[in-house]
Amino acid sequence: MMKEKIKIFLNTDLLEKYLLGLTTDLETLQVERYIAMYPEVRKEYSELQDNLEDFAKSYALKAPEGLKEKILNTVKAQNTSKRKFINFAIAASFITFLFAAASYFFYHQNRSLQEENSVVTNQIKVLEADMKQRLEDVRNQFIVLNNPQTKKYTVMGNKKARDLKAVAYVNPVKKLSYINVQNLPHLQEGQCLQMWAEVNGKMINLGIIKEAGNKDNLLAMPYADNAVGYITIEPEGGNQTPTVDNIVANIAF
Amino acid sequence: MSALLENHIVELLQERNEKAISLLYENYSDTLYGVAFKVVKDEMLAQDVLQESFVKIWKKADSYDPTKAKLFTWLFRITRNTAIDKLRSSKTKTDKEIQIDVSDVYKLGVEGVHPDFIDMRTHLNTIDHKYQIVLEALFFEGMTQQEASEELDIPLGTIKSRLKIGLRELRKIYIETTLLLFFINLIA
Repeated sequence: MMKEKIKIFLNTDLLEKYLLGLTTDLETLQVERYIAMYPEVRKEYSELQDNLEDFAKSYALKAPEGLKEKILNTVKAQNTSKRKFINFAIAASFITFLFAAASYFFYHQNRSLQEENSVVTNQIKVLEADMKQRLEDVRNQFIVLNNPQTKKYTVMGNKKARDLKAVAYVNPVKKLSYINVQNLPHLQEGQCLQMWAEVNGKMINLGIIKEAGNKDNLLAMPYADNAVGYITIEPEGGNQTPTVDNIVANIAF
Repeated sequence: MSALLENHIVELLQERNEKAISLLYENYSDTLYGVAFKVVKDEMLAQDVLQESFVKIWKKADSYDPTKAKLFTWLFRITRNTAIDKLRSSKTKTDKEIQIDVSDVYKLGVEGVHPDFIDMRTHLNTIDHKYQIVLEALFFEGMTQQEASEELDIPLGTIKSRLKIGLRELRKIYIETTLLLFFINLIA
């Protein structure tokens, strides 16, 4: 059975084709498997190789003079140029790497600069808006303070807050009013002063008067005819509606 | 070719030592040049083929596997295929036919026939012509067995058997020649 298989194989021309390197990849695998597995095939292949060498030798011709040197030089040149190419490739890789690293570095630097730039631009915008606001305030304050029609009221705390001193400026022509809190009364822990304005029967929260920073500042108040301002003592953090019992001062404009 | 020398050359090749090419040239150039010339039938072309083949041998040294083919088989494959490619790329079919005629004449004048093989060549001529044309068609004309069958108008089966028998006959003749030379040397 096995003998038959080998015989069939040897009767094909696969081994001869393989000898000349003319088999397809698939055929090559098949032939190499047969050579590896069967001594008969191995022997036949070995003989074919010897025969091929003998056959080829029978056609031998003296190779021309000088051809050896030419061939050796070509092979040497191949090696040198290959080595040169390798050197060149190494240099090129190195330069590429440097370039990539530099690109990466500059890209990141550029990005962080751009981020910084946008932060700075935003800050400038905020500052500009703030400054405009302040200028507008200062201008209004100047108008109010300088205007002959502006009335000045001195606001004193009642007995609950004797130390409270404030000055209110009201200009009915320009419809502007400001208050300047000069001195704050001593408050108990957990209390604060809150300002209110009664405009058309509604109480409007004007915010908490802070200890510091407000002394030299004029606080703008919504203007209304016959408005009344109040200052109350409220729990720390302020209140939604004024605690009437705790009114320490009122300002009638 | 002694197995020792062959192994040495293979080692040098795998170490990528240029000495390998020098040794290969010294031991195989005449045979490979003969093969190249037999295919291209032109001295200049045959020289080009030999040079290209050696460059390929050097470049492909890594891919040579001694367990799969003897060194000469590998060298022969590269040289034969290089020669056939060269022939196909440099000649039209008509050129090729003319070239065959010219070279048959020219061959008689070639001085370079290796003296060691003159006896062999004489004996080769005694191989039945019908085997020889098959072997030459397959080895040097770059024909497949199918093509040889059509070209020579011989059934494929016959081509196959003539290839086998031809290669055996050759082996026999070669051994006889060697023995003959051996005895001649003894007598002398």
